[in-house]
Amino acid sequence: MANYHLTIAHLYGDLMNTYGDVGNILAMQYYAKKMDADVTTKLVSLGDPFDPNDFDIVFFGGGQDFEQTIVAKDLPTKAAAITDFIEDGGPTLAICGGFQLLGQYYIGADGERITGTKSMSHYTKNQHDHRFIGDTIIKDEQTGEVYHGFENHQGMTFLGKDEAPLGVVSEGAGNNGADGTEGVHYKNVYGTYFHGPILTRNGDIAKHLLVAALKRKYPDQDFSEQENMVIPATF
Amino acid sequence: MSLRSGVATAVGKTSYWFLHTFMHGGSSLPGKLAARIDPEILKHLGQNYDVIVITGTNGKTLTTALTVRVLREKYDHVLTNPTGSNMEQGIVGTFLHAKRSRGQRPLAVLEVDEANVIKVTRYIKPIAFVFTNIFRDQMDRYGEIYTTYKKIIDGVRLAPEATIIANGDAQLFNSVDLPNPKIYYGFNHLPKGDMKAPTNTDGILCPKCQHVLHYHFMTYGNLGDYFCPNCGFHRPELNYAVTKLGAMTPTASTFDLDGESFKIGIGGLYNIYNALAAYAVGRFLNVEPAQIRQAFTSDERVFGRQEVVHVGDKDVTLILIKNPVGVNQVIDMILTEPEDFSFVGLLNANYADGIDTSWIWDGEFEKLGAAGTGENPKIKAFLTGGERYKDITFRLKVAGIDQPMIEPDLTKVTAKIKELPTKKVYVLATYTAVLQLRKQLASEGLIKEGMGA
Repeated sequence: MANYHLTIAHLYGDLMNTYGDVGNILAMQYYAKKMDADVTTKLVSLGDPFDPNDFDIVFFGGGQDFEQTIVAKDLPTKAAAITDFIEDGGPTLAICGGFQLLGQYYIGADGERITGTKSMSHYTKNQHDHRFIGDTIIKDEQTGEVYHGFENHQGMTFLGKDEAPLGVVSEGAGNNGADGTEGVHYKNVYGTYFHGPILTRNGDIAKHLLVAALKRKYPDQDFSEQENMVIPATF
Repeated sequence: MSLRSGVATAVGKTSYWFLHTFMHGGSSLPGKLAARIDPEILKHLGQNYDVIVITGTNGKTLTTALTVRVLREKYDHVLTNPTGSNMEQGIVGTFLHAKRSRGQRPLAVLEVDEANVIKVTRYIKPIAFVFTNIFRDQMDRYGEIYTTYKKIIDGVRLAPEATIIANGDAQLFNSVDLPNPKIYYGFNHLPKGDMKAPTNTDGILCPKCQHVLHYHFMTYGNLGDYFCPNCGFHRPELNYAVTKLGAMTPTASTFDLDGESFKIGIGGLYNIYNALAAYAVGRFLNVEPAQIRQAFTSDERVFGRQEVVHVGDKDVTLILIKNPVGVNQVIDMILTEPEDFSFVGLLNANYADGIDTSWIWDGEFEKLGAAGTGENPKIKAFLTGGERYKDITFRLKVAGIDQPMIEPDLTKVTAKIKELPTKKVYVLATYTAVLQLRKQLASEGLIKEGMGA
């Protein structure tokens, strides 16, 4: 038995699960085990309540256009609770559509404006008949860490003034193909267009999420060993 | 025949003859030439055939081959396109080099790429369409399952009188009202319960009211006896069904169709769907069940996709993988292996493989488990390789398989295979990895060049 236990909310995991995004959960389980923690994942989907106190990590993956519009209709019932979780420093990973939906709005494939949870200040526009597809490399300027991913998105996301990018693009398009940013890092939220999945290729981000979750759940414990854990390259 | 069609046909046939005679093989060139001279060439070439179009994400090739086999039990002239020639020019080429038939009006059973259905129906009115399934494919190809299906029905709308013979267990095929006559095939082999699809399943929303579908039972992927607890939408009545599953190994499956027993010389539940589709087409064209049973067993080379190659003292089964649902079906199939075996995973990420390797994370490699501990303890060893060996190696590692053998260089994989501890070896490989491995096997004289049997 592990000493620590973490619970992940898989937001709309039955609808938002494209491009191997589930690999992020597998990666969190894998690295958590090395940190003496085990992980339970609970699906929180259409009509299900979301209580931020029940969860240590929130994971919100990407979806197909159709599923995303259905999710957007259900999202207002959970938006305030998701915002509470984020503002309280809850570790959150949001990929592609999940990243978009935590912002102000996004413009769907047919031009419709779809409201997000407004937990964060970024917003997403739509490019016509073009997608950003390919391998990407970014650098987190704060930590110096380099991240590898694969992007595949039509949306062009623009960060708000209070948001920092996850990294600066050295290969690929990033958030919008224009300003050189990729993803978002806000409090303990990591938002990104990276598939790959992001946590299987970039174990350091998995470590950051898990350490943040452990510290938040067990404030009196010392996690310096977990923090100093060296993650071998996988990509 | 218009003058233009005549010239196009002549050029196509001549270039086919030239390539076949002097270049040892055809290509898409004759079809391309003919289509360039006369864009409506298909209309001219196809008008003398009763055409059946087979399309969908997985299973097109085997369903086509089995359907041809079934129909030939009753019909003398059944034309089909060679594996892989499922785009417009390949289809033109198929008609171009067909021999003229006398007597019965000939049939043409065509495997058609999803986006090319409309390129066929613009000129030819088929008597039937067969829809196998629609799953997420190599991600960047057609976008999403809904887009893919839309591409297919855009083509079907030009042929409203053709009978649609569809997989009834796939809700997508029941999501759009079409005027065509319909025949559904599917599975009816389990008692009715009430369940939801596993979380990581694609396409589980009710197309009528957008609630999450439930199932009385599931077969694989999102296939099964679906129903919507909210609005009552449900699987259509099946015309032809698998009523019982018998013994299954990687090389043989037994099952009942409408109460009568059948056998095919290949494993995998997904292949039973392919056989069922061929059965449905056969019954549609009045082939008797006994003839169909005969067709399924008469020549097992029809199942050529799973090729067994002898490398040293090893029996190596080579299996192409290309998308999550496909790889999961292959994993399930090799787990039915009764003897000790080794697992080899070869991953490339060239365009034909899909340039994004993320999909391997939708593969349930956890079922394999570390040697001797998984769902089938007969797995004794693991080997990974290919241009993206790091991705597949870490995938296995997360699945609990800590120390696979690793060989990035596909020209050295055959040497590594000889070191594996078991006689049986299953190689799961993406398209260009299969090509590269086959090239290596050919250079060692273990197989002849070329793709598939």
